[in-house]
Amino acid sequence: MEKKYKSSYFAHVLKLAVILVVAGGLGIFARGIFLPETMGQYGHYRGSDIQDQRDVAIRNQTNDACFECHRPIRLIHKAGVHKTVSCEVCHGPYADHVKDGKVIGKLPVKRGMEIKELCLRCHNKVIKARPETVIKVVAMPQHLEEKKVQITHNCNQCHMVHDPLLWVRAAYEMAGVPMKEEKK
Amino acid sequence: MSAVAASGESLAAISNFVFPNDLHVHWSLMIVLYPYITGLVAGAFIVSSLYHVFHIKSLKPVAQFSLLFALAFLICATWPLMNHLGHPERAMSMMLTPNPTSAMAGFGYIYSAYFIVLLLEIIFIFRPTVVALGAKATGFMKTVYTILAIGSDNVSAKALKLDHKIISFLAAIGIPMACVLHGYVGFIFGGIKANPLWATPLMPLIFLLSACVSGIAGIILTYIILMKVSGKKVDIECVQTLIKFLWGFFILDFVFEMLELFSHFYMATHHWHTLEALYSGPLFTTFWVYQVGIFSVIPFFLLMAMSLIKFKDGILLFFAPIVSIMILLQVILMRWNVVVGGQLMSKSERGATTFHPMWFEKEGIAVAIFIMIAPVVILWLIGKVLPFWQTEEGTETA
Repeated sequence: MEKKYKSSYFAHVLKLAVILVVAGGLGIFARGIFLPETMGQYGHYRGSDIQDQRDVAIRNQTNDACFECHRPIRLIHKAGVHKTVSCEVCHGPYADHVKDGKVIGKLPVKRGMEIKELCLRCHNKVIKARPETVIKVVAMPQHLEEKKVQITHNCNQCHMVHDPLLWVRAAYEMAGVPMKEEKK
Repeated sequence: MSAVAASGESLAAISNFVFPNDLHVHWSLMIVLYPYITGLVAGAFIVSSLYHVFHIKSLKPVAQFSLLFALAFLICATWPLMNHLGHPERAMSMMLTPNPTSAMAGFGYIYSAYFIVLLLEIIFIFRPTVVALGAKATGFMKTVYTILAIGSDNVSAKALKLDHKIISFLAAIGIPMACVLHGYVGFIFGGIKANPLWATPLMPLIFLLSACVSGIAGIILTYIILMKVSGKKVDIECVQTLIKFLWGFFILDFVFEMLELFSHFYMATHHWHTLEALYSGPLFTTFWVYQVGIFSVIPFFLLMAMSLIKFKDGILLFFAPIVSIMILLQVILMRWNVVVGGQLMSKSERGATTFHPMWFEKEGIAVAIFIMIAPVVILWLIGKVLPFWQTEEGTETA
């Protein structure tokens, strides 16, 4: 004689099937609620995202934007080997400084040993991923020893940061020595 | 100088010409864990299927446990990915806007489908146990067991026969799904044609085999530890069978790992000089010394001896956990060498970078340890509700 059960022998299978169907239905329902309206307007993405991206405020500008006001430094910067270096690389984004044609904040100017850190960000010899013909790289303090200066010297004591060879060239001229063509 | 010094460790180790966008290893420790955890899931499921589908009777003691083991790790399989990508709240967008051409999104669908199959299989296999436990339980636990039994108390022969049919069907579709789940993870790497270390059709196969290996090793280790801790008797025949399967799968796994490397070497395409530099350079220690030397060769011979020679039980139970730990380490090293190794070479094919995970960072070692401990805690919690082992009286009447 078999024990009497409250549920039929297939009750759990039936209930599971119902649960799965309901879960699937809820999923389709949720999709209807959460699916962005413009999804698939142009392709497999939210169409309104194009507008969102266009609305992202522009933070960076070209050097010419800076030179509109900063005229004296323009002449030095444009003449030197750093002419292709963006102002913002060292000074930070334009948007932190000017908004709607008005000055809204001061951009940082590196002082003291921060300058050394800034220069070595690009000119460090350990960054071997670039050919030497493209950028002058140095090892510290080896470079200072080679140039026979104190190893506590800062980069900007010899190099004008906007035109790194300006003072070096002038020093050679004053001494009447021809400047040897150095690898960059 | 601090910025330079802080990153100096990795900068100094760069060799030759590395593109600036290849300096940083983006797929970090989290992407090492993701195939590792998924592999444990697939492997544990295979152990369970060996009993439920292929009727390897000696694996009965671990058949139920390995399903719960798989579930605990499956719950955590997406954690490393969500941590790596950030914005876990966006995870479900994949389901809202399915993209059939996205290889990456494939994981979401395969994972979800597999999750459902595994849950259903657990529900059906544990139903007689759950009904028996529910009859004894009171209060909150009674509600839990009623839900787990899907509100049915019928464990008559007729009902169990129906269950058995469904279990066989679920297990039968579960095996190909477990294989697809992990084969897919291999495919994600194997399909990246820009990376010569990854781009090989052998990758899904190697990932799948190492998944089986890590899953079986994980089951052996946890089975023996749990038995020792709870003072129960270890089923020696079960461990012996597991060791034999572990050896079998490991032979295939290790041979294919080596064959893959050998075919790169023999074909000697224009990529080989980079791969050679990688294997003899940044990967020398983790690949040749650890993965191959220590954690493949030693377990290989240990497993061979344990499978072919009939040792005393004590010796078998001493070496089985050791060999399992070594295999588990071999597999995680393999994941490391594939995932991180592939990113160490620059796309210039003329240089390599290095990668050192930090302890405390978003994807650091501490987080990795947390994510690996989480499934163990979840497994312990599952153990509070569902029994890992069938008792002597046999709560399972099937």
